[in-house]
Amino acid sequence: MSLLPLFHWLQETDFATALRESALVYPTVLASHLTGMALFGGLIFITDLRILGLAMRGTSVSDVITQFRPWKRAGLVLVAGCGIMLAWAKAEFYYHNPYFWAKLSLLTLVGVHALVFRRSVYNNPAALDRAPVMPTNAIVAACLSLTLWIGILSMGRMIGYYEVKP
Amino acid sequence: MLAYDPSTNPLNNNEWSFPLLEIIHIASFAVAIGTIAIVDLRLLGIGMRRQTSAQLLKDTTPWTLIGLAIVLMSGPMIFSSDPNMYLGNPGFRFKMGALLLAILYNYTIHSKVARSNPSPVVGAFVGGVSLALWISVVFGGLFIAFT
Repeated sequence: MSLLPLFHWLQETDFATALRESALVYPTVLASHLTGMALFGGLIFITDLRILGLAMRGTSVSDVITQFRPWKRAGLVLVAGCGIMLAWAKAEFYYHNPYFWAKLSLLTLVGVHALVFRRSVYNNPAALDRAPVMPTNAIVAACLSLTLWIGILSMGRMIGYYEVKP
Repeated sequence: MLAYDPSTNPLNNNEWSFPLLEIIHIASFAVAIGTIAIVDLRLLGIGMRRQTSAQLLKDTTPWTLIGLAIVLMSGPMIFSSDPNMYLGNPGFRFKMGALLLAILYNYTIHSKVARSNPSPVVGAFVGGVSLALWISVVFGGLFIAFT
């Protein structure tokens, strides 16, 4: 079963049409998507760099992880909310865009990453403070997180460069 | 207008270098603005309250600088792909004005106040202005493509 009819229907909804054709709202949603990345995507990078011992060494790993958490969640809501609206506005174009599917696949892997590492790393930050050297699984989690998010950013940017063949 | 022909620029002669520069630009401004926002959330009194703003400023300064340095290298390279277009673009002009203000503000008032662990009212004002300036820079940048 193809998802194309669904994506076609989404793009043809009044909401999507109005958003896509608005000279002000569409770029504002896009700018908010980008602003959310600037404010809160940076927190993801810094969390990973902190685990790797490359940033904010004056603040404990647990203070970084626990105090960033609510802001990263709020940022995710903003960025994903805007992202869903952007994809909805051009759903049928996105259906044909391989970078869109690559981005979604990487986002799925972020979910897998969370399932794998949440318990041992992110919900257990006090243990990271106590460890004399950073545990290997935390290092792996940070490196994978950096790789995945840079990949997501890259695929997201490339969506705009793919021209749908008529 | 300029004695320079953008068609000779390598950025305009392959498919990958321009988007690659944009990706580098976005990732590095996320680091720069994200680290500034860490201090701003503390100044506003709504985040990072286990540290003082002075501690957070000191702890984030290197990565703010690294992020800004990469932003300020990739940005002019992007600009070089079509200088005349950018110079006449309202979004770009707005962005450059906001960027100049934001950088000046960041390394004068913002850092001075953050170092002094200010009262909540002063902190909230200084942190709020900082966030507003950097958000303006991002909006200006995005609107280059729409103005």
